[in-house]
Amino acid sequence: MPDSELLKLTISEVAPLIQAREVSPVELTEAALAEAERRQPTLNSFINIMREQALAQAEDAEEALSRGEYLGPLHGIPIGIKDNIATGGITTTLGTKVLRDHVPDEDAEVVRRCKAAGAIIIGKENLEEFAAGATSNNPHYGAVHNPWNVDHIPGGSSGGGGANVAAGVTFASLGTDLGGSVRLPGAFCGVVGLKQTFGRVSQRGLLVTSFNGDHIGPMTRSVRDSALVLQAIAGYDPLDPSTVPVPVDDYALIMERGISGLTMGIPSNYYYDHLDPEVEAAVRRAIAALEELGVETREVSVPSMQYAGALRFSSMADSVVTHEPYITSNREDYGPDTLYRTLAGQFVLGRDYSKAMKVQHIIKEEHARVLQEVDFLITPTTPLPAPRIDADTLEVEGRRQKVRGPGSGHVSRNTSPMNSTGFPAITVPCGFSELGLPIGLQFIGRPWEEGNLFRIANAYEGVSPSRGVWPNLE
Amino acid sequence: MPISDETMRRIIAEYGGFELSDDELERVKPELENYLTELQNLRDLDLSDVMSARLLRPADGGGNDA
Repeated sequence: MPDSELLKLTISEVAPLIQAREVSPVELTEAALAEAERRQPTLNSFINIMREQALAQAEDAEEALSRGEYLGPLHGIPIGIKDNIATGGITTTLGTKVLRDHVPDEDAEVVRRCKAAGAIIIGKENLEEFAAGATSNNPHYGAVHNPWNVDHIPGGSSGGGGANVAAGVTFASLGTDLGGSVRLPGAFCGVVGLKQTFGRVSQRGLLVTSFNGDHIGPMTRSVRDSALVLQAIAGYDPLDPSTVPVPVDDYALIMERGISGLTMGIPSNYYYDHLDPEVEAAVRRAIAALEELGVETREVSVPSMQYAGALRFSSMADSVVTHEPYITSNREDYGPDTLYRTLAGQFVLGRDYSKAMKVQHIIKEEHARVLQEVDFLITPTTPLPAPRIDADTLEVEGRRQKVRGPGSGHVSRNTSPMNSTGFPAITVPCGFSELGLPIGLQFIGRPWEEGNLFRIANAYEGVSPSRGVWPNLE
Repeated sequence: MPISDETMRRIIAEYGGFELSDDELERVKPELENYLTELQNLRDLDLSDVMSARLLRPADGGGNDA
């Protein structure tokens, strides 16, 4: 099989070929590295392509196979890691000049688990500076470009990962999601992005910028692949107190169940406000497609979402503390968006932070209640398709909305609430805008029920108009 | 509650150890304005029955001996 076809398979398609020794981990890794190097001048999706380490890992994976040791579906699969997740002995910059020479002593727990499952890490992926924004327009390492249209953003902050998975460079990438940073690149790049339940995956080794709601999650080419990666990285980590010892389901098994008779909740407020008409039309078509598959529809109300703006107070205040060790000594190393946004966090009062925590509790309770009435919620992932890289603002219903830097937040209005509730959410491609930019559909589920999210998302993926469509990068 | 430029400049200098120019101060303001707008939005929201307040209310049973 030619490399160009090999690299367009999903993990669940290529894994049996590796297990049967029809495709070798070294061959696959060499193909992925060549593609990464070929695409880097166009996409700028990596901060560091790890050719030597990846090939050494691939040779180990191949030797293991020759000894009859098959580690599972990630064995020999080339993946990318966002550059805010620690890799032992490898620079981990967090997308900032401040940490350009930071070399962690050990791997993050998720990296350790991926390696133990046989995955090959081909590089550290580009991101928004300090993972704090939705564009991946990095002032130090350059802007990441969207493979569907290189004049547009890939979304952020895990933009390098989204671009790599969409372009056929990596089979999966691990990103991080504090306000939508896995799901936004998922939506804008037309791939699957998962933010599982808070506490499901260890954050140990993640260079956190907020203590409230960060998650490490996979971006993949299919829902089935998302389940395979989560299966490998999920589980209690005794050294990370944020993880919870809830048993990890067999996701492949749950995905086999049908979805007929399930009930989807369509929020009557907030999530469908201020939408680009093309996004709304694509999502309504997806709802109709799910109804065709036998899913029942119920309108639900989440009135507390009128206060969702308060959910940002905690990350504003947290970032002040995160940056405290660096900002005085390294001011010149900061990009303007991060610097000025951080400085505003100074003015969040303790009492308002506390109020925001209470609002978060109300919103969480309300979503929990609604999710007892329905099996899942369905919303647009983003209110609009990917903006242009050079756009600072966009007009939404006659109002200028900032896309980046201080005062922005419109792009992540539908993703950030689930960072506060901790509930799982997944984005799946559901079509394209007239400009050919992907549109994402978000499913929100009950805590610890990622299996059901995969089941629903997998069923929709089978009828999605995005299925089998690739960006044309030539 | 509006925050004057002078107050902003002083608090930022205390935190970061540097003074911002007028132009730079303008670039901080959109984030701050979002925050202040959301605070206004919260003004009429009754939070007295949320979590900690509810747990402290003896009439709900169990008291608060702990």
